[in-house]
Amino acid sequence: MTADVPAEALPPAGPAQATAAPHRAPGWIWHNRDLVATPVIVVVGLALVLLYTANRQLDSVEQRALDPSYLWAKFVEHIWLAAASTVLVIAIALPLGIALSRPAVDRIRPGTLAFGGFMQALPPYGVIILLAFLLKFGTTTAIIALVVASFLPVLTNTVVGLRQVDPALIEAARGMGMSARQTLLRVELPLAVPVMVAGIRVALVLNVGTATLATFIGAGGLGEPISSMLNLGRPRAVFVASAIVAALALLIDWLAGVAERLVSGRVG
Amino acid sequence: MAETMQCLTDPAHRPGQRPVIALEGVSKTYPKQSKPAVAELNLVVPEGAIVMLIGPSGCGKTTTLKMMNRLIEPTTGRIMLDGEDVTNVNADQLRRRIGYVIQQVGLFPHLTIADNIAVVPKMLGWDKGRITSRVDELLHLVGMEPAEFRDRYPRQLSGGQQQRVGVARGLAADPAVMLMDEPFGAIDPITRERLQDQFLEVQRQVAKTICFVTHDLSEAVKLGDRIAVFAAGGRLAQYDTPSEVLAHPADDFVAEFVGSGAAVRRLSLLELSHLELEEVVISSRGAPTNGHPVLAVDDAGRPSAWHHLPGSAQSPPLVTVPLSGTVYDAVDVMLDGRSPLVVVVDDDGQPRGALRWDALVGDLRTKGKRP
Repeated sequence: MTADVPAEALPPAGPAQATAAPHRAPGWIWHNRDLVATPVIVVVGLALVLLYTANRQLDSVEQRALDPSYLWAKFVEHIWLAAASTVLVIAIALPLGIALSRPAVDRIRPGTLAFGGFMQALPPYGVIILLAFLLKFGTTTAIIALVVASFLPVLTNTVVGLRQVDPALIEAARGMGMSARQTLLRVELPLAVPVMVAGIRVALVLNVGTATLATFIGAGGLGEPISSMLNLGRPRAVFVASAIVAALALLIDWLAGVAERLVSGRVG
Repeated sequence: MAETMQCLTDPAHRPGQRPVIALEGVSKTYPKQSKPAVAELNLVVPEGAIVMLIGPSGCGKTTTLKMMNRLIEPTTGRIMLDGEDVTNVNADQLRRRIGYVIQQVGLFPHLTIADNIAVVPKMLGWDKGRITSRVDELLHLVGMEPAEFRDRYPRQLSGGQQQRVGVARGLAADPAVMLMDEPFGAIDPITRERLQDQFLEVQRQVAKTICFVTHDLSEAVKLGDRIAVFAAGGRLAQYDTPSEVLAHPADDFVAEFVGSGAAVRRLSLLELSHLELEEVVISSRGAPTNGHPVLAVDDAGRPSAWHHLPGSAQSPPLVTVPLSGTVYDAVDVMLDGRSPLVVVVDDDGQPRGALRWDALVGDLRTKGKRP
């Protein structure tokens, strides 16, 4: 038997995969029971934090910082920063990764990936503030900084995902008369999707975390209550705001994980 | 020897004379290499023939095969397909007219068996009903039950089953020409043997023009109507029928490549049905023996024992071989049964004649020298 795809790209070969659709749902949950843990942790954790704050007398500063409508506004800003930057990263890094995976660019691939690694090594905190001085303060700059910070995982995973496709499959596809484009769309990309989605998941989680730094250049987000409460010496409010960011990051990672599991299940 | 060949080649299966693939002065020099991988090659593949490309590693046999569907573009020369110069036509469209089977099989793991087979028909725009019936027909042809295998994924199949699907996929759009790159090379010997037999069976039904790369001389002799022996540097050292290559190597290179054991390999090319067998007499029928061996038969007329063997005091054990077999099979049976002669029986088990160890050796030695 030929090694068509690396073993890790294959989902568990459960009988539920091969049998009819009605049996799929329960089997699917059973095969992915590890995915249940994260939402439980998030819900229990947030409930504990809410209980904690409900039993404490908050002063006016803390009340303002933990006001639900204020937090909601910051939450929306945060999601916008993370979502916009991730979409931008996908829009730029995916096509670039596809281009870089072509055999014709064998010569410039290592150099480009090394440059990507260099960008990745820059600390986001520094990048976001330097960019703000170079460009301007505000949301756009924050999004650009987030794109820089999360570009590499999507790029490398796209390249790696496409290059790990068994050359025999590509030869078979070309030998049967698929054009280079058809081979890419019908064979290479479907087989690379699980690895590519894993890269997008990393980028998304990075962006949700790094978006807390946007507040330093006036772009809002959930970093704002954290940093202002730190400056005003209100550790309880810092704790609550941080807990929300952490819960959000975990939840996004979980959602992306579910999506990843779905696509790799389909491909296998 | 030519007469022997006439006698050995069944006219019904003899390939036609019309050239289907023709390489005309084709060379391939890879970039940054001074020596060509294939040099000034002229090769004609006649209609309905299985041509085996064989040679040591790096001799250019795979390069030659891949130039036929232009997966590798020739540096110079012309490629003719069915009398049409295809050296410069659209390569993707050309390949859809040519079946292609590779050693690694290359079934797409994300597609079902049916979808794998349907790839080329879909590209050619066949309608759904036609594709479905074609898929089922092909699965039947390669001996796989469509209802059982159609919706499976490649990883659920054994290596041998995967390669059978690979062959079915190559045949999907009913191409006149099939190119096969060591399709059975990575399969265990027992399964390979079965796949080869089945491949010949399929070929009897579909009668494609086939180019087949192998590094296994036994495979080349067994499957090939013709063998093209390549020497290093892409030189075509000999291009002839298997028995000619084995009996009369064109040069020292081919002689060494064919090596020892060529005479034994040649036995498998001699079909019993083409030999003049020694007459045998059935004991119960009371016919004069005339010095022929006398055979006792059972009620159904099948041989049961030697009744009398001229010039021999005691009867040797009775061994039989089917008429459809080769002299190789007869020798195998005789050695195994420790018998100096073997009864050749037809499909119904009726004796058709006998083959003696002595006569066999003498026959093989003298046959080529007969006028």
